[in-house]
Amino acid sequence: MSAGVEILLVEDNANDAELTLRALKQRNLANQVFLCRDGAEALDFFADGAGRVPKVVLLDLKLPKVDGLEVLRRLKADPRTKSIPVVVLTSSREEPDIERAYALGANSYIVKPVDFEAFARAVSDVGLYWLLLNHPPQ
Amino acid sequence: MNWSIERKLPLFVTILLLAVAITQLTIGYGEVRQASRALADKRLPLATKVLADLFQAGQGRVRITALAKDPAIAAFLRSGGRSGRDAALAAMRRVTTDTASNTGLELRDFSGKLLLHTGRFSVADSVFVSPGTDSARYGPLMRRDTTLFIAIAAAVGSGEGRDAERGGGIVQQVARMSLSERTRTTLTGLAGGDVALLLGNATGDPWTDFARIVPAPPSNVLNSRTPVRYERGETMRASAAPVPGTPWMVVAELPSRVVSAPARAYLTAMAPLALLIVIVGALIAWWGSRRLTRPLGDVTHAAEALAAGDLDQRVLVRRDDELGRLARSFNTMAEQVSRSHHHLEAQVAQRTKALEGTNAELESFSYSVSHDLRAPLRAIHGFARILLEDHHANLEPEAQRLLGVIDQNTRRMGQLIDDLLAFSRLGRKEIGAAPVDMEELARAVADEVRRTDVGRTGTLAIQIDPLPPAHGDRPLLRQVLSNLLQNAAKFTRDRAEARVEVGSRWDSGETVYFIKDNGAGFDARYADKLFGVFQRLHSTEQFDGTGVGLAIVKRIVQRHGGRVWAEGKVDHGATFYFTLPTEER
Repeated sequence: MSAGVEILLVEDNANDAELTLRALKQRNLANQVFLCRDGAEALDFFADGAGRVPKVVLLDLKLPKVDGLEVLRRLKADPRTKSIPVVVLTSSREEPDIERAYALGANSYIVKPVDFEAFARAVSDVGLYWLLLNHPPQ
Repeated sequence: MNWSIERKLPLFVTILLLAVAITQLTIGYGEVRQASRALADKRLPLATKVLADLFQAGQGRVRITALAKDPAIAAFLRSGGRSGRDAALAAMRRVTTDTASNTGLELRDFSGKLLLHTGRFSVADSVFVSPGTDSARYGPLMRRDTTLFIAIAAAVGSGEGRDAERGGGIVQQVARMSLSERTRTTLTGLAGGDVALLLGNATGDPWTDFARIVPAPPSNVLNSRTPVRYERGETMRASAAPVPGTPWMVVAELPSRVVSAPARAYLTAMAPLALLIVIVGALIAWWGSRRLTRPLGDVTHAAEALAAGDLDQRVLVRRDDELGRLARSFNTMAEQVSRSHHHLEAQVAQRTKALEGTNAELESFSYSVSHDLRAPLRAIHGFARILLEDHHANLEPEAQRLLGVIDQNTRRMGQLIDDLLAFSRLGRKEIGAAPVDMEELARAVADEVRRTDVGRTGTLAIQIDPLPPAHGDRPLLRQVLSNLLQNAAKFTRDRAEARVEVGSRWDSGETVYFIKDNGAGFDARYADKLFGVFQRLHSTEQFDGTGVGLAIVKRIVQRHGGRVWAEGKVDHGATFYFTLPTEER
């Protein structure tokens, strides 16, 4: 297990990424964050042979190259990565997206609020929960 | 019962034939009866006349008249009974012998004293008949027990003055009537067939039918000179006539049943014939109507099958008349229906495909709006906040105020996007259909509204009346109640005593639910604008909101098949009404 990476953030929008990182930073959770700018990068992160296992993946759905649902499907289909918690963090509150994400094995589905305070609270709550409260299988 | 034409037509014809037959029989019966009665009325007086003539022409009167003028009788009486006795007796014996058992002949003086007597029959020692002077006179019929007898008398001399003192007297013959079945049959035969003949006194009893003594016919029969009806054991038709020269009358009578016998015979003969005609007519009508309705039935069945969706249904054309034309026209029509149906189906499929495409586009559009419109907004809001938080010290108060304005508007924009997406989702969502307890739903929503109610200075009272259940989509109906109650709470915020009532009423076949408040109300002139998207009648400073809530209410109610409207007055509260189907349509 790589102690270096605890949160894998998959987010193509630089502004959203910055706001997310800032929210995590306020809770001192930003040091162990690895940022991927598209789905392909995220899949590479797991495929490079290093066997890195983050404590949680924060996944946007609308991504360039490989979209979020596809990333989710592949992670949950791979025995090595299927127990990694994946939290979908997206702007879409469309019912079909939510249903498909849970059907593919998403552990949570969070709609990014427009309101910054609410957004920051959601992100930091998610980070705290999965990093500090959740007990993954060893 | 199925009143098809196939049944109605024969029934109609049968009823018609029956009516004709009954009318024919009734009229025929009446005519025959009339004719036989007229015949009887001619026969009866004829019979009485025959009998009357018979009795009038009796030989007795002639003989007794001759005897009263016999010189031997006159000589005997003139001598005061002293001489000529044998000659007188001989004259009397020429009329009635001493051995005659049914007749008695007497010679008396005017005082009634019996002088001479021949014949063995005698009734009493008296004069029965006041004698005629010129000719003998018949007396009335007389009765002793079961015997009837006839007296006939003639005067010898005048019986007055000199004749009374000497030389006068009375010749009287008394004869027993021989009553026997034979006499009766003979006379009846004389009158012809069934006619019964009766003889009796014009003034009353006794009467006889020549076989036995019978009661006298009623006076209306005796007094009438035309045939009349009367009852004697059975109904009779009778005619009476006096016998000239006697105090007697004869009556000829026929039982009414004999008079009407030909009419009955007519009925007996004609009724079965009429029945046969009716039956044959009914059978022909039944056969004809079957021939007529079967092709119609074929076309009807085919049309029903066509209506049920079997577009390949055709009728076999068997004939060349109107029905055949109908069958051909039906086939042509079915052909066209089938063709246009297939055409329509193809068109529907094409349109559906196009619509599905549009729908997919719309979905991806709202997905994009949902995702891409919010991201930049979040960035604007986020970085403005960061600027305020991290660089607070470097910013002048005016710069801070302006950042506050950005903050407010981005929040509002976010709300607008959310509401708009919710509204557009409604158009695509399937509407569930199940019974919904509106009262329970209203209570739940009211609790939530009370919990989230903020910024109020006075009190808020929400009253829920008993509400009938509705039929529809529970989450969506919850949304309707929620939006309307939230509105009611919002627009009563500045009231000292805010009152909200949720109720219903039954109005011409549908349930009308209403939410009534005593809040700010609205200008009734703009009532129809309330339900438009982004339509607001109050400024954001007065009451916050995006103007989508009522549009959502309207869309949900309409998609349930209901209506929504509002009444209100500025500062005097508002009432929102909506209708919902009470059961599945």
